[in-house]
Amino acid sequence: MSATLPDLQQYVGKEFGPFHSWDPVNAPMIRHWCEAMGDTNPIYTSDQAAQAVEHQQLVAPPTMLQAWSMVGYAGERAPGSSSGSAFAVLEVLEAAGYPGVVAVNCEQEYEQYLQPGDEIYYKAELESISAEKTTALGTGFFATEKSTFYNQRDELVGTMRFRVFKYRPGSRENADG
Amino acid sequence: MAELRLIDLVVGTKLPELSIDITPRLIVGGAIASRDYQNVHHDKDAAQALGSPDIFMNILTTNGLVGRYVTDWAGPAARLKKVDIRLGAPNFPGDCMTFSGEVQACDNATGEVTVAIAGNNQLGPHVTGTVVLHLLA
Repeated sequence: MSATLPDLQQYVGKEFGPFHSWDPVNAPMIRHWCEAMGDTNPIYTSDQAAQAVEHQQLVAPPTMLQAWSMVGYAGERAPGSSSGSAFAVLEVLEAAGYPGVVAVNCEQEYEQYLQPGDEIYYKAELESISAEKTTALGTGFFATEKSTFYNQRDELVGTMRFRVFKYRPGSRENADG
Repeated sequence: MAELRLIDLVVGTKLPELSIDITPRLIVGGAIASRDYQNVHHDKDAAQALGSPDIFMNILTTNGLVGRYVTDWAGPAARLKKVDIRLGAPNFPGDCMTFSGEVQACDNATGEVTVAIAGNNQLGPHVTGTVVLHLLA
């Protein structure tokens, strides 16, 4: 039996943020990313190649969206950022006897390409939390965090929905590990 | 990179496969490039303490590889609009992930193309999902 749970829906829809980036979008971080990913698309490293396909200058891979505002090695948010987390409900579930967590889905939508100089921040909310469900992993809840990313002109540049399953492992012994 | 033209596409067009060796170098390099210092992506002892056999690839790297896979095919003029993925078996060192993909929809009026992709390793699907891109006319 799990501990008594509070009403989880109370966590839905509360906005957290802004969460800022330590650095503006910049060519060196883009190049490091492309090296690691093996991505040789020239629009990420060459102004000329980017301009040939109607960008103003080189652009960042859109999949870097989340990377700009990551806390990094020190684990600290960039100056001016809010505290708090849209996923606070996961700690509530952890305390209530649901220790497992697994990422299920990640959906990113891109409104515009980011280019060097752009200063990215985001706001986040718990978009939804499911009723208790039982899967092959165990029993728990699907929680979706929606992050909305903006630039220095407060223009929407992208959104990300990240869904996790926060669960109490099933009675079957886990065979992996 | 060859330029892909909308006129060449029909639903069912297959993307060339791409196999990626999953090395500690890639897992750690991808994690650092995405500023993700969670220990399960670089510290084998820490990963094992959490019940994982080894370090494993972070989601940002998976996203980056999915984007690369599709734009390798579509070329520099393509604009990514959406990457929507479901996560499956982890990518552990020593494995190899093979991407495959197929055009699911293409709209000649808007230039919007939807590609279904899958990245499989020896455990099964690591990532499945769809990528929406826009091709310049």
